[in-house]
Amino acid sequence: MDEETIELLALRAGLARALADFPEDVEAAAKQAVGVLERIKQEPRA
Amino acid sequence: MRDGSLNELHWLGVGEAAHAIAHEKLSPVELLEALLARIDALDSKLNAFIRLDREPALKAAHAAEAEAKAGRLRGPLHGVPVGIKDIIDVAGLPTTCHSKILEDNRAKADAVCVQKLRAAGAIVLGKLSTHEFAIGGPSFDLPWPPARNPWNTDHHPGGSSSGSGSGVAAGLFPMALGSDTGGSVRNPASCCGIVGLKPTYGLVSRRGVFPLSFTLDHIGPMTRTVADNALMLQAIVGHDPLDPGSAATPHGHYAAALERPVRDLRVGFVRNFHEVDMPAEPEVTAALEHVVRTLQMEGAEVRDVTLPTLGEFAAVNRVILQSEAWAIHGQWLRDRPGDYGQLARRRLMSGAFYSAGDYVQSQRRRLQMIAEVEEALRSHDVLLCASSMDPACRIDEPAEIDRTYPRQARTPFNVTGHPALAMMAGVSADGLPLSVQFVGRYFDEATVLQAARAWEQASGVDGRHPPIV
Repeated sequence: MDEETIELLALRAGLARALADFPEDVEAAAKQAVGVLERIKQEPRA
Repeated sequence: MRDGSLNELHWLGVGEAAHAIAHEKLSPVELLEALLARIDALDSKLNAFIRLDREPALKAAHAAEAEAKAGRLRGPLHGVPVGIKDIIDVAGLPTTCHSKILEDNRAKADAVCVQKLRAAGAIVLGKLSTHEFAIGGPSFDLPWPPARNPWNTDHHPGGSSSGSGSGVAAGLFPMALGSDTGGSVRNPASCCGIVGLKPTYGLVSRRGVFPLSFTLDHIGPMTRTVADNALMLQAIVGHDPLDPGSAATPHGHYAAALERPVRDLRVGFVRNFHEVDMPAEPEVTAALEHVVRTLQMEGAEVRDVTLPTLGEFAAVNRVILQSEAWAIHGQWLRDRPGDYGQLARRRLMSGAFYSAGDYVQSQRRRLQMIAEVEEALRSHDVLLCASSMDPACRIDEPAEIDRTYPRQARTPFNVTGHPALAMMAGVSADGLPLSVQFVGRYFDEATVLQAARAWEQASGVDGRHPPIV
């Protein structure tokens, strides 16, 4: 995930303040999420 | 204590203390004062408490003493002190979640699990350290310092129920409540050499507990012995119609299962976790093999079992946990990100980067994983596996914490909801606890406790205490 995509997703989630004050934390959070998704293998009552 | 049989009251177990109080050999006030003296002597090194509720606890102990003298016992835990993880509401006290965000969040009522403990006669001693919001820690950038490990205070005690694990192991209190969303009862139990049980999902109400992840959160008992764990579990189980995750299922009589022999018990040994997925430290592997041999000597039948990889279990747990946590923390993270510690801020913000589709796919994969564990438990009465792949590392080495914290086999059973108990399997050459985990069928905590008790009895691990003075 590149920097631009991270920024776009963070802004869409309303994280403008975090992006301004803690940019390295936003980047770490995004990269962690991407790393997690790569590990999951891709058929609930009436 | 009237017969003078035990001069170290702080090592008295839950059952022993309750029995002595019921037979007027011990006063609840005497017990509480011994524990308060122990806390005063040690907690400046351990940081197990966020808030010690000294005066109300003493008042409750005096009331319990009067009731015991009058022959009126409230229940099986009459007069026995308990510590409460500070994400769980205790009426009148702040539930801070170890965070600046909730510093002034005073609880109006007891959580259901606390109500049940009080109804059984327990005395609430105070609120205990946790990782921030049960996810971010150990951290040094929060309003309170992190708890430390009584086996070596330079090391972490595991988390997120870190004060619960540290305090029980150090003899500050004989039992504590913890919560477990990705292993947070069993991690401190493993690191501190005590017994921590994550019950079946839905067995214990979560009403009055600050949520981390609605479909992964569990509340569990933490004690120094398996028998005490059964006693505490018995007090807190039960259907709660106001917790949508609570199960209307009859629960067992746990103490009765403890002395059942394990002869012919079918044990599935999940080797792939610690041999293939996350190769464990040699000392951990040797300890697990010793547990297996011991159970075989007791007549259990042990066979190898393979489950999905730990890496995938952990990933499914993460996506679900962080997505659900984002639904709770999103607004605070938008408005006041600086009021979180860095670890919690990073871990909670990850939830903003998953899509709805990612969450749904993880829940679908979760159903397949549940089916695979259920299949293994159709031909085995209990599963045995690693808990932590390493002993606890130093608390001031964040890189080593980052490396070792994920090296564990606990998240699978948050994903599937099966009951899982972690306890001591031995002690490392450096004097730190090693651990093992027992896993059972849904609502069959009795067999999990039975297997754990067999190991405890044969090994004597319940007699080992940390060297802290």
